[in-house]
Amino acid sequence: MNKKHSQFVAFLIFKLLGIIVVLILFSILGFIIINGVRVINWEFLSKFPGEGMTTGGIFPAIVGTLYLTIGSLLFAFPLGVMSALYTQEYAGKGWIVKTIRMMTNNLASVPSIVFGLFGMSLFVNKLNFGDSLLAGSLTLGLLALPVIIRTTEEALKAVPDTYRAASLALGATKLQTISKVVLPAAMPNIITGLILSIGRVSGETAPILFTVAAYFLPHLPSGVFDQAMALPYHLYVLATSGTDIEASRPMAYGTALVLILIVLTMNLLATFIRRKLEKKRSK
Amino acid sequence: MIETRNINFYYGDFHAIKNISIAIKPNTITAFIGPSGCGKSTFLRLFNRMNDLIENTRLEGECLIDGKNIYEKSTDVDALRKRVGMVFQKPNPFPKTIFENVAYGLRVNDMGDKHFIKQRVEESLQAAALWDEVKDKLQKSAYELSGGQQQRLCIARALAVAPSVILMDEPASALDPISTSKIEELVHELKQHYTIVIVTHNMQQAARVSDNTGFFMHGELVEYSDTKKMFLNPDKESTQNYITGRFG
Repeated sequence: MNKKHSQFVAFLIFKLLGIIVVLILFSILGFIIINGVRVINWEFLSKFPGEGMTTGGIFPAIVGTLYLTIGSLLFAFPLGVMSALYTQEYAGKGWIVKTIRMMTNNLASVPSIVFGLFGMSLFVNKLNFGDSLLAGSLTLGLLALPVIIRTTEEALKAVPDTYRAASLALGATKLQTISKVVLPAAMPNIITGLILSIGRVSGETAPILFTVAAYFLPHLPSGVFDQAMALPYHLYVLATSGTDIEASRPMAYGTALVLILIVLTMNLLATFIRRKLEKKRSK
Repeated sequence: MIETRNINFYYGDFHAIKNISIAIKPNTITAFIGPSGCGKSTFLRLFNRMNDLIENTRLEGECLIDGKNIYEKSTDVDALRKRVGMVFQKPNPFPKTIFENVAYGLRVNDMGDKHFIKQRVEESLQAAALWDEVKDKLQKSAYELSGGQQQRLCIARALAVAPSVILMDEPASALDPISTSKIEELVHELKQHYTIVIVTHNMQQAARVSDNTGFFMHGELVEYSDTKKMFLNPDKESTQNYITGRFG
């Protein structure tokens, strides 16, 4: 076989594998869309569940997931960005930083149920927050933290050192250099990290299982110390432990679709912000 | 006035600058020439303490600017860098507008109000012979300019904070011949108001623009004299070999 042929065969295999992956993805999406779109209507989005979760809607779960996502990122985003700034811009290259970085990587691969257990023992019990939005948000935030730290570090690394040198050579302090040159240049990539963590946070079930999620609540949470329903957990409930699982199956598909749509919308929004920043930056 | 006294500089174990003492007069252009890795850029970067940014380095000796050792503990490094500006090898404008690039140094050093900044930006761009080319697009990205324009923008940016010394690290090595000659003309103009130290690979450039030339090799200052003398009648044989291209 000459090299032209082997190239042809290799590319054919790459192409086939690529198509298979895309097909799998689309069949999952298609399956959920076809099954879910039937139940989605205004009532489904705006009503509380009724009659043992077989009728009504998922409004409180949508609200709960939004609260949890926003709450966790309010906590994790500033903390993660600042940690990355410390390790990347200030701390140098000593063993402390290496250890922190190794720990961060390890943290990223810890199973989410472990985060859930940790959140329960620390926030719910030790700090006495109880099952609450606060405890759930903090637990989810811990989960998002390594992702945000890693991507922010990469984003800072991608900022050319010549920018830093130019700024310092003009008499700017290190802090000015970071806040006026490095961070703005890194922001589009940092936002990408935020997108990734939104996707992860809003879809997680295990961390909220013991920290905030309620099987059913007749009212919306009214403060950070209230329990809340959330879409991933609601989906789990609908699929495994409703009063009539068969009857609530369509509700489950609808919930899955809404969850996917919310993640998608948040991603699109973040991508839009990223694009805008990139444009502003190159202007 | 820049003066070094028995400066030694090390990257880890590597002895990069070997016992160099030199005096540079105000309002002159001094060129540092020498083969790659001879220490000329490292030496230049001692004058605004940019080598501080590199880890695991060590310095011995004194570097005096206007009579004060800039390596004393009490030195305000940010203030020093405001006084001793720098233009880098590759044009490195910030990813900001043309206006904001020049205004940056004024803003971070808290130099004056909006009106002053506007005026100062224009003066600096004029001094860098760039004003006519960019006056209608100050709010455009600096990266829309050509390489040569970008480098003049970087010069304008350095001028804006009113330094007394300007260090140039091979400022034209990434530019085409026309842009290069523009930069050289500009350097010549700037001499009236600034002390300029320029590192260059290009011997003709050193001969054209500078008043004094220092020849570096293996971390040593082999010869330092009037540029004319250096190029016509150098004292040392290695200088002669280098400037005539018979090196080694």
